Amino acid sequence: MLFHPATMALNLASLANVAALVLAATFGVRILRHWNIASGSEGQLRLERQTYLVSTLLGIVLAAELVSLFLFVYTADRLSVMFVGAMCAVGTLNASVYGFPALGLKIACFFAAAVWLLMNAVDNRGWDYPMIRAKYGVLLLLLPLFAAAAAVQVAFFADLKGDVLVSCCSKLFTAGGSGVSAGMATLPPMETLTALGIVLAVVATMAWPARRSPRWALAYAAVCAVLFAVAIAAVVSAVSPYIYEHPHHHCPFCLLKAEYGYIGYALYLPLFGGVALGLGVAPIQAFRTRESLALVVPAASRGLVGASVALLLVFALVVTATIALSGLRLT
Amino acid sequence: MIRLTEVTKVFNQGRHNEHHAVKGVTLGIEDGRVTVLKGPSGSGKTTLLTLIGCLARPTSGRVHHGGRDISGLPERFLTEIRRRTFGFVFQRFNLIHGVSVLENVMLPAYPLGDDHGALRERALTLLERLGLDGKGEAKAEWLSGGEAQRVAIARALINDPQVIIADEPTANLDTALSRAFLTIIGELKAEGRTVILTSHDPLVCEADVVDRVVAMRDGRLTERELVEA
Repeated sequence: MLFHPATMALNLASLANVAALVLAATFGVRILRHWNIASGSEGQLRLERQTYLVSTLLGIVLAAELVSLFLFVYTADRLSVMFVGAMCAVGTLNASVYGFPALGLKIACFFAAAVWLLMNAVDNRGWDYPMIRAKYGVLLLLLPLFAAAAAVQVAFFADLKGDVLVSCCSKLFTAGGSGVSAGMATLPPMETLTALGIVLAVVATMAWPARRSPRWALAYAAVCAVLFAVAIAAVVSAVSPYIYEHPHHHCPFCLLKAEYGYIGYALYLPLFGGVALGLGVAPIQAFRTRESLALVVPAASRGLVGASVALLLVFALVVTATIALSGLRLT
Repeated sequence: MIRLTEVTKVFNQGRHNEHHAVKGVTLGIEDGRVTVLKGPSGSGKTTLLTLIGCLARPTSGRVHHGGRDISGLPERFLTEIRRRTFGFVFQRFNLIHGVSVLENVMLPAYPLGDDHGALRERALTLLERLGLDGKGEAKAEWLSGGEAQRVAIARALINDPQVIIADEPTANLDTALSRAFLTIIGELKAEGRTVILTSHDPLVCEADVVDRVVAMRDGRLTERELVEA
């Protein structure tokens, strides 16, 4: 299905992004090899001027990556009508061996892009390009990830054939299935929700010291990563059945459908946003002692942790509200 | 102290019309003094002035002010420095026609978001100090050359900059107005401000208020002489 409008848009965007990232990575290699802020050489001044252009380009490319995760899932959902047996995005993702790997890579790209964008935003506030080497070093590490995500996505859409009979979410997210999805579906709902509540409480408790202390900020980022895993498990194991009011329907993708009021977006946007902001607190801590960032990093840490915890509390509120308003009672 | 180290500026680099306007200039400009960059047309003095004032970036070399490199700063910091550190008086004054003298003077302070009433009061005080009281509501295009220059000086001073930069300030003035301008420069110097001028006018270069004349030709410094006031 390479020629479906949505898949064409996603593939072209991803390939264009990778091309832009390759150009930026080439520039990054020059930065890593030749950057010397103490020098007034023509080459150094040219690098300083070009970094504006490259940073702006990367800002656009990586912002597009943030959006493309949600467009990818939306497209997978819309394509499900073309497969016999598919009811939602799961059916489409299941129609090719590249489906779930593509989704996993898109999620990894989402967080990687968010962290790089936050690093770039902080670096732009220092007068001596304080994080420039770290920024482009990270970019070089990210390039294979983005290239792999684009390649697997193209392979996924190319591999989709309309005449394939697929299993959908009721098979995948069920006790009878196998793999991680079935494992999450069979987790005890009350215990999983309790774990989510505990991790959320830990995050909220850590937010205050994390706004001030670099060590707490690093710990906060680590707990955010844990929270993401626990939250996804809780959505599959407990939150989804409450929303569907069906004890055996665990699909985390049907939540994104109109039949359920697009409630999935209200869950996932604050969750992904809160976790991304929380992860972004970590890499900037190493630059706290740089003179040009001595005031910027503490202020940015306070802002990021504050915004992160606020979004995660919104996620907690949506979870609580869906459970409270559900007609289902799990034990 | 403003320190330039091996500063070069090349226009249209790599093209057939490549032009080396400033070639490897190393120079220190002391705080609180009046320095004149002197030279014939095309000697690079105006280009050097724009590099000092962060209106352009050097092709190579560094410009330091107060120990900090200001030539390689990211653009957002340069904007702040242009607003707060330097006051510019352009050769043709560059007043905005169609708006009042008062608005012209207040304009550079608008992005700083100061209280409008206090800003207006500051602008009126500057106009009064420069002998332009009563001209605040006049349109810029109604002014004589000397008045326009004084408005340009008031505008340069509105953000209380440490450094005043003036490009050929007496080029369009007669002798009396040029002397009046130098009197104002003397007052700015007395306030502790650094003043950097370009000029090839002997009246300026030989004025008592000038501490140092730096001669340029073909983009290079040709000589340095100190003229103690």
